[in-house]
Amino acid sequence: MHFVIAFIAAIALMSADHYGHLMGNFRNALLTTITPLEQIASLPKQIYQWTTTDFSSIDALKIKNQKLETEILLLKAKQQQFTNLELEVDRLESLLGTTGKITNQSVQIATITYYSSNPLSQFLTINRGYLNGISEQQTVIDSEGIMGQITATAPTSSRVLLITDPDHQIPVRIQRTGQRGILRGTGQDTTKLDFIPKNSVVRKGDILESSGLGGLFPAGYPVATVTQVDELGDNPYLDVTARPIAQLHRSRKVLIISKEPLPTKPKEVENGQ
Amino acid sequence: MANKFMKSGSSQARWLILFSYIIALAFDTMALLENAMVVIPPISLMVLLYWCAHFLDKTHLLSAFILGLLADTLYQTTLGAHALVFSVLAFLMLRHRLRFKAHPVWRQAFSIGVYMMLYQILNYIFFSPVLDSNDAIQFWSMPVIAIIIWPLLSLIFRRITTNVVKG
Repeated sequence: MHFVIAFIAAIALMSADHYGHLMGNFRNALLTTITPLEQIASLPKQIYQWTTTDFSSIDALKIKNQKLETEILLLKAKQQQFTNLELEVDRLESLLGTTGKITNQSVQIATITYYSSNPLSQFLTINRGYLNGISEQQTVIDSEGIMGQITATAPTSSRVLLITDPDHQIPVRIQRTGQRGILRGTGQDTTKLDFIPKNSVVRKGDILESSGLGGLFPAGYPVATVTQVDELGDNPYLDVTARPIAQLHRSRKVLIISKEPLPTKPKEVENGQ
Repeated sequence: MANKFMKSGSSQARWLILFSYIIALAFDTMALLENAMVVIPPISLMVLLYWCAHFLDKTHLLSAFILGLLADTLYQTTLGAHALVFSVLAFLMLRHRLRFKAHPVWRQAFSIGVYMMLYQILNYIFFSPVLDSNDAIQFWSMPVIAIIIWPLLSLIFRRITTNVVKG
């Protein structure tokens, strides 16, 4: 009897989570429960890192390094926007305004506390949670491009589903041609660009940027670079493989973009640790 | 009389069981953070199977369900998927735990290997992981690692449980 109840409850939960996306708060509560476990699990690695570091000048260097990293991150993020704006203006001039505008967004800086990269799921944990005003579906970028989106929040930490996760999809367009498609994760640190017809002009090295369709991801941020283009027999679509531009496993600091664009020029940036 | 002993053992070891689950989940998290979860078996599931076989007065299905939910959160999978897998495996253990308990440790280890293979098959069906050749070898060799780990895990828990229940 117990088994039957557990079985039915599990199936109901799966349906509610997979088809209805109704379990957001429940998942957040569970994530809050396991957050201390994650901190305990990361302790041995942290202790090892502490003991193998020279303590004499480390504090001063750490502070200076953090300041510089934060500055570089902000500047690079701005530069991304400006490069995209230039391209956007060029395209608008030639196509008479067929593409969307890039809006100014307010951002928060967060530090990656740990990440997981395995064929089942690819995600990051960052040190900002709902107490810092973070909510689900916010976009996360690093200095190079889009990394993923927030999928669950605990009080002081959040989970970021990476663009390489098998469950992740993001609407993109090819920067050079404006052709739209859907970029999905493969679980192997690469992505696949779907729904690109055979007659499209896609080249190795093309940059894919977020198209902004669907309203979840802001438009104009670089996402991936095309690494391989294949034709698969009678399939009407091309098989396009792309490598993420963001340093998914090397970045330490990330930016969390707010959902609402700023009405005026952005001034406020909250510094993370 | 025997039933009374088993009941008192289970209730006396309640905190030990809870603590063991927390430690096991911490180990699972460590394996996840070190990107070794493909090859390292889920320690929480192995501990659950140990308690299922050890204390016969409880079904442990509630524990299986909650551990599964926590595993779903940990691995970022659909909520309920691991809960279902853990419950099914715990139920299978309940069906033949008397025979399992009577076996010597090496035979138990091979049974656990079969359970872990079943876990991997269910994982493969539910989550369809994209495995390259290296990952595939690691993924399917996980039950072998479980067979190696089980005698050690079984020995540690037997000693601790004996002390706790006697004490």
